[in-house]
Amino acid sequence: MIGFDIVGFIISWLTLFGIYAILSLTLNMESGVSGVTNFGKVVFYGIGAYISATLTTYLILMLNGVDIVENPPYNINGVILLGELGSKNPVLNIGLFILSVFLSFIVAGFVGYLLSYPILRVGPEFVGFTLLSTGELLRIFLLHFEPVGASKGLMAIPNPLGWIPDSRVRETLYLIVILAFLALTYTVMKRLLNSPLGRTLKSVRDDETAALCMGKHVPKIKALVLFIGSGFTGVAGTLLSYYFTSVNPNMFVPSVTFNAWAMIILGGMGNLTGSLLGAALITLVDRLLTFITPLLGITVISPDYVRWIIIGLLIVVVLIVNPRGILPEKPIKTPALQQVEEELKK
Amino acid sequence: MIPGFTQTMVNFLQYIFFYTVFSLPLTLSYRTTKVINFVHANFITYGAYTAVFLHGVLGNSSIVIAAFLAFVIVGGMAVLDNLLVFTQLQKRGSSPAMVMISSMGLWIAYRYLLYVLTDIMHFYTSKNFVSYGRITYSDIPSISLAEFNLSQAFIASMVATILVVSSLYLILEKTRMGRAMRAISDNATLAEISGIPRNLVINLTWFLCGGITAVGGVLWTSFSGAITPEAGDSMILQVFTIGFIGGLASLLRTSIGAIIIAFMENIGIAFLNTYLGVPVSFRPFLTFIALLTTLILFPPLGAGGGLPYRFRKRGLSQ
Amino acid sequence: MSNILEVRDVAKFFGGIRALDGVTLSIPHKGLVGLIGPNGSGKTTLFNVITGFYVPDRGSVWFRESNSMVRIDGLNPNEVFRKGIVRTFQTPRLFNSLTVLENLLVTPVNQIGENVAKALYVKSWREQEIELSKKALGLLKTFGMLPYVNSRISELSVSHMKMLETMRGLMTPAKLYLLDEPTAGVDYSMARELFTYIKRLRDEQNLSFLIIEHRIEILMEFVDYVYVLHNGRLLSEGKPNEVTSDPKVIEAYIGA
Repeated sequence: MIGFDIVGFIISWLTLFGIYAILSLTLNMESGVSGVTNFGKVVFYGIGAYISATLTTYLILMLNGVDIVENPPYNINGVILLGELGSKNPVLNIGLFILSVFLSFIVAGFVGYLLSYPILRVGPEFVGFTLLSTGELLRIFLLHFEPVGASKGLMAIPNPLGWIPDSRVRETLYLIVILAFLALTYTVMKRLLNSPLGRTLKSVRDDETAALCMGKHVPKIKALVLFIGSGFTGVAGTLLSYYFTSVNPNMFVPSVTFNAWAMIILGGMGNLTGSLLGAALITLVDRLLTFITPLLGITVISPDYVRWIIIGLLIVVVLIVNPRGILPEKPIKTPALQQVEEELKK
Repeated sequence: MIPGFTQTMVNFLQYIFFYTVFSLPLTLSYRTTKVINFVHANFITYGAYTAVFLHGVLGNSSIVIAAFLAFVIVGGMAVLDNLLVFTQLQKRGSSPAMVMISSMGLWIAYRYLLYVLTDIMHFYTSKNFVSYGRITYSDIPSISLAEFNLSQAFIASMVATILVVSSLYLILEKTRMGRAMRAISDNATLAEISGIPRNLVINLTWFLCGGITAVGGVLWTSFSGAITPEAGDSMILQVFTIGFIGGLASLLRTSIGAIIIAFMENIGIAFLNTYLGVPVSFRPFLTFIALLTTLILFPPLGAGGGLPYRFRKRGLSQ
Repeated sequence: MSNILEVRDVAKFFGGIRALDGVTLSIPHKGLVGLIGPNGSGKTTLFNVITGFYVPDRGSVWFRESNSMVRIDGLNPNEVFRKGIVRTFQTPRLFNSLTVLENLLVTPVNQIGENVAKALYVKSWREQEIELSKKALGLLKTFGMLPYVNSRISELSVSHMKMLETMRGLMTPAKLYLLDEPTAGVDYSMARELFTYIKRLRDEQNLSFLIIEHRIEILMEFVDYVYVLHNGRLLSEGKPNEVTSDPKVIEAYIGA
């Protein structure tokens, strides 16, 4: 194909993969491993994104002596100023990035923890609907909240690596940052899974009543899972906001949650590698479609719609045909297994 | 007096009618089939679009024809969903949560399928179906009484609500099929052992529920100025909240829920808007508060697999 | 002889239904006590009250802790378990996605590795994990289930599942076992074997048992004392042979 920038394509695919894989890993931990059906993934994603966007744009302006009442970051002047000031001070950019990551982890995590209380008093079906609605309410709220730009959102968010002049280098380095966060998330989730905590989580998923009878404080455990999962999801939101250098409420719609669910169902619930696989496949299809669409010209049937029909049907078909997904759940790997080997040899 | 009070009252009643027609089938379908069905939102939308396509492509202006066709088409859709998806999953022993997730997958697929259909119809007729205007029907009157102006939508939805409520009552109380539905809601296994053809009754329930909801969608086309493929989705919060208020079990409480939510969304927000300046588009927040309140104060204990009791803080009295 | 459990005039109502209407019973230390009664007499409700699923509407439940009786009604089920009471279910409630070994390992409380921060560092819980798995393997050997160590629950027979439920308790220092029909679905010789194990556990490990059991022959052979529940009230109590020849009991069972 003429003019097909394959490196650019791969970078954009892997970047999106990196961000979404964090969503699918955490969702798998919550819903696949612990049985906390989380249909509000997008809430924590949005919180993380907006925290980093707001923090960065406001602070960059304020620390550069701009009067934010006169020129808030969501006004055209503010945006222009952000464009000028954004890449001046690398230390400031990176510092704000790190601060945003921490803050979004804590706030998103805390919201996840709070949200678990009223909602987990009822069964998974009611949880699902309530969390979906919470997502929509957050979006409606953001649509009207002036300080974060209401329906326009925030733009020209200074990327931590924005001071790097070459765009290709900048993209690649940022991709590496994202993949580093992905690796961190994966390691944490995997360790938690292959531990007594992971066993306890699975027991809560399998039979809450029996878990209670075995001394597990089920509500606390679920709240904990949501705290951690939501925290990492908030970080993913931060990474997203810097990648697109803009946020607006319509980026945080239920489709985000459904995408993540499709990824874990396809990849295999309870299997972390499966979540990576599901994320890779679905983001690849997404990128390919985005890429092919302009090439097709005008068609009667929009490929965008087709993509969603496929995702919806994918969820249904996988659940019917092979609910375990591509990769099955594996037994928990702890030193206990070694003992077993030794014992059986005798 | 709040400005536009009369109109607000009329809207209040109007919404009671709509919500009743949308929500009663949800409660009925859940309590009989035990499936939380997100496609319910599409029942509304597809019902609306049956009317829209009949009007825009074939020039139909009879609400009765539209309602009839919508009933049959969407009722059939519901039965197909059950046969092809829900029963397959239930046979495999899938948890209710998985069945709900499958219904979410269907929900997305149906929504975008409708977008595709609107594009195709646009291609053939050059009309815009993605946002369709209010339909004026030829077979409903609109009445003016003193200073009240009762629109077509009002009359139609009032008539429909009366019909739906009375026929549901008659079916469930007086017919064998209705009693079979109630038996299955109470104890499906026992009902089956007593000789009730469970699959047949469940499919008929789906047909009925899908059909009634679709008729609601048709009514909606006479009311709403902008009908889109997301029409049902925009109301799903309210409809499910109302169902939850009814505990997804009691049709009477569901109707009360419809009144409560209609009140909050029309009169409640009017008060807040006039006296506290809350924007009208914040209506969903009121409904959400109602939802959380219902879940916290009256959680459907044990329903849908929740903890079979209420987890207490250390209530030890020594 | 001191009691390990005392149920004092417990009542539990559900709307108009009197599931329990003033039940008083006690389990002595190292007691093997049977609880019988027609279906619907309140046996499972009683278990639910003792284990914290229900708060009694009247009365109280007391459990021996070191040298005194402490009140346990009002505690949540997980707290009741931590006091040292294990409860099984009529239909075994095991963790289906976990292997037999994992089912055993999940039971001990306060495992280091259950703490989020510690779970991330294998070194901190490695030793405890190995210790616990040695204990679990030992139990499996004793009960003759070692070959099933890595099996899924779906591969087990009913009697193995029931044994596993009890074995889980043995992983902890629990003192009192409430068994809900441990021999349901199991043939007679297997039932006798199960009860022989239970008796051994009582003798060798100083455990106490309250068991819901229907088979009269089993009761006669193994159990010290029997309580009979009927319509939420105690109809009769005493040694097995006394109770089974009590005309009130006979009438209740035939009439039920």
